[in-house]
Amino acid sequence: MNRKVHPLLPDPQRRLFLQSASISLAGLAAGCLPGICFAKRQDELHIRNYQDVSSLDPVSTVSTAEGIILGAINQNLLQFRSDGSWGTRPDAAEFVEQTDPTHYDFRLKPGQMFSDGFGEVTADDVKFSFERMIDPAMKAFNLPDMGTLSHVEVHDRYSGTFVLRSPYAAFTTIALAGPSGALLSRKAVTALGGRFTTHPPCGSGPYRFKSWQAQRKTVLERNPAWTGKAAAFSEIHVYAMSDDKAAEMAYEAGQLDCAQISVETVGPFERAMPPDSSIRVLRSGRNFWLGMNHENPALADIRIRQAVQYAVDVEAVMEAAWFGLAKVSTGPIPDGMTGHRQQALVPPKGDPDRARALLREAGVPLPLRLRFDVPSRARDLTTAQVIQWSLKKVGIEAEIHAHDNSTFITLGRQDLGGQWRDLQLFLEDFVGMADPYYSMTWFISAQMGIWNWERFSNAEFDRLNDLALATSDAAERSRIYQRMQDLMEESGCYRFLTNGIMPQIIRNGIEPVFRPDGYAQLREFRPASGVG
Amino acid sequence: MGKFITRRGLAALLVFWLAVSLLFAMIHMAPGDPVSVMLGPRATPEIKAELARRMGFDKPLVVQLGKFYADVAHGDLGVDPFSNRRVSDIVLEQLPYTLVLVLAAIGGASLLGIPLGCFSAVRRNSLLDRLTGILSVAFIAIPSFVVALYLLLWLAVKWRWFPAIGAGASGDYADQARHLVLPAIALGLGWVGYIARLVRASMLEVMEENHIRTARAFGLPERTIIVHYALRIAILPTVTILGLGIGSMLSGALFAEIVFSRPGIGRLLYEAVISRNYPVVMGSVLVTTGFFVLCTLVSDIVNALLDPRLRESREH
Repeated sequence: MNRKVHPLLPDPQRRLFLQSASISLAGLAAGCLPGICFAKRQDELHIRNYQDVSSLDPVSTVSTAEGIILGAINQNLLQFRSDGSWGTRPDAAEFVEQTDPTHYDFRLKPGQMFSDGFGEVTADDVKFSFERMIDPAMKAFNLPDMGTLSHVEVHDRYSGTFVLRSPYAAFTTIALAGPSGALLSRKAVTALGGRFTTHPPCGSGPYRFKSWQAQRKTVLERNPAWTGKAAAFSEIHVYAMSDDKAAEMAYEAGQLDCAQISVETVGPFERAMPPDSSIRVLRSGRNFWLGMNHENPALADIRIRQAVQYAVDVEAVMEAAWFGLAKVSTGPIPDGMTGHRQQALVPPKGDPDRARALLREAGVPLPLRLRFDVPSRARDLTTAQVIQWSLKKVGIEAEIHAHDNSTFITLGRQDLGGQWRDLQLFLEDFVGMADPYYSMTWFISAQMGIWNWERFSNAEFDRLNDLALATSDAAERSRIYQRMQDLMEESGCYRFLTNGIMPQIIRNGIEPVFRPDGYAQLREFRPASGVG
Repeated sequence: MGKFITRRGLAALLVFWLAVSLLFAMIHMAPGDPVSVMLGPRATPEIKAELARRMGFDKPLVVQLGKFYADVAHGDLGVDPFSNRRVSDIVLEQLPYTLVLVLAAIGGASLLGIPLGCFSAVRRNSLLDRLTGILSVAFIAIPSFVVALYLLLWLAVKWRWFPAIGAGASGDYADQARHLVLPAIALGLGWVGYIARLVRASMLEVMEENHIRTARAFGLPERTIIVHYALRIAILPTVTILGLGIGSMLSGALFAEIVFSRPGIGRLLYEAVISRNYPVVMGSVLVTTGFFVLCTLVSDIVNALLDPRLRESREH
């Protein structure tokens, strides 16, 4: 049918189209306006995690990124206190009591429920959770966390006893309070065939798992079955962001409430702080050090190793590589942990005169040329350059060789070839856990060629390592670990640098809680007083 | 045409097989111990051996490669040793994010680049032409990551017009579109200049041809001549380049996915390489290589369809 349209009037269909198009475009533009674009609910927490999770089953987790989430959706028998110390307090347990060196009694608080209708948390669930960790068939990646655990005896619905094969002083901190000790529901996990990965069937923590999207985020929501103090946020969105800069931008753009930022950004942010924000420079649980392979002929003379120790100006390293924010460490055990030393044997600034004297005494021709292997990360390269400069002042020329992390991590491994023999100087670091045992056990003789690249071997050190593990008295353990760090330093194989820092930027409306190693305790995060 | 497609298809399969085999060998010969990287110092020798077994490292390289192809033939790309998820699921879950990003980038670049190139050719040596020329070269020269960072700083951080990270809420297409804008601009901006220069050069050549002069002599409107006669021919080389561009952008999307913390195949591959998660690396490589080869093949076929001379010259 032909329609008659006045030639001076617009075609009504065209006009309609233009109107619709304009409205659509306006709608799209409005959607992009600030405020509308990022409207977040007030009672949600949006936080960065440094990497994506690959599993939320304690038997197959491999990183703290997963532990952060496990701690929010599960209960342990014990949990770390929220006062920034490594002390523990009861979580699902009414009490945990060591009755002798190999037995720990526990009793659960009655009435604690698993989410999603999986019933009450019982002693049988505790037995199930721990015994599946040590079950050889499960091949748990975190089996060593359980130490010498033999089995769990159940006495009644709420109580039982952990039986260890031999004393294991780290049992309460690493096994009971750590991510590997998360309590699971036997009924729920068995229904899944005994294993799960990124979708836990239920939990007994203040939050429960809602969703996981690979490389994007994990969303937690309030657990309606939780009977403790109400969870502060209706939802927690944990974003997987491996890149510091992307996280910083996302924070500035208002998409995150809390994010770990890079060390070099702390200064610029403090000079021009994003609105409504503050920075906390937290300690990290890592140990950074300069290692020396004493089986390499160039470093066989202890006086040469000691000369290196005294030549290195660690304060200069802190200024250049850590922007003056990190403290010089006194050993692998960080401040705040049992066994921390107040002072190292070699002063932080070193003593170049003493280094020169030691080299003279050793009778080595100068300049002494040494190979220096480092990971190729920017901070490690800066650290290496400062050390190189320090060494040059006393007549040692260090030649830096940078490696991709995956390659670097194999350099001292004896089972992967003979490259360990070429190692001379190297920069090393690794993360610790809640117990000094975990910081020290990598340096025993049995670890030579595995993680002990210095090839440090000392009978007293090995004996003390075993003794410390069997000692429950904190003061005595502290003395043992301090002596062990003295032995490491006296060997000349180590120049301790720092335990690092972990800067976090936080919205002022959030009251965060972090462990002493800088990782978030999500379940303890709350809106700041008077906010939200 | 059938013969042409068959021959090109077989050649594409050969290229694909060679590329994947080479990548497999290179990845496995790279120094470093994946098991140590993945598990860290806590791992006992038994746990390391178990992970090595799960990843197939306990077998010689040739056997691993053979098994890989046998599994691929059955549609199985292996299993991620950590999450126990099928690698094919992981890769296919991420692929749409990258495809959408690449198509948005190349689509946007075409929408801007083709008219710009066309105008430049029609108004040759005008101010607009010179300005377009300068802008095109600038777009090509500026590294994409610089563009990405400034887009983030201005449009996400300062003015907050667009989100800085992520890919938008599932099922909310408007939100997903908002999350797509900045990465697509960052990825596609260089292509705007490239396409504009290519279209301009082709247009200038075509506008000098006899049939255009004839069309003018017949008094056809200039607009009709440009759009219906000149551009249809001048666009051919651009179509070829766009086909290849989509393939190469798949790998180029990596930086956008990292800077904008956006899921995708590039980021998946990057993180898998860093952690030496070989099953995921190989699954991602297989899919991206396959896609690249497919784009090249489609581009060849489209070219042959549009220009019978090409088809005939290859058949003789």
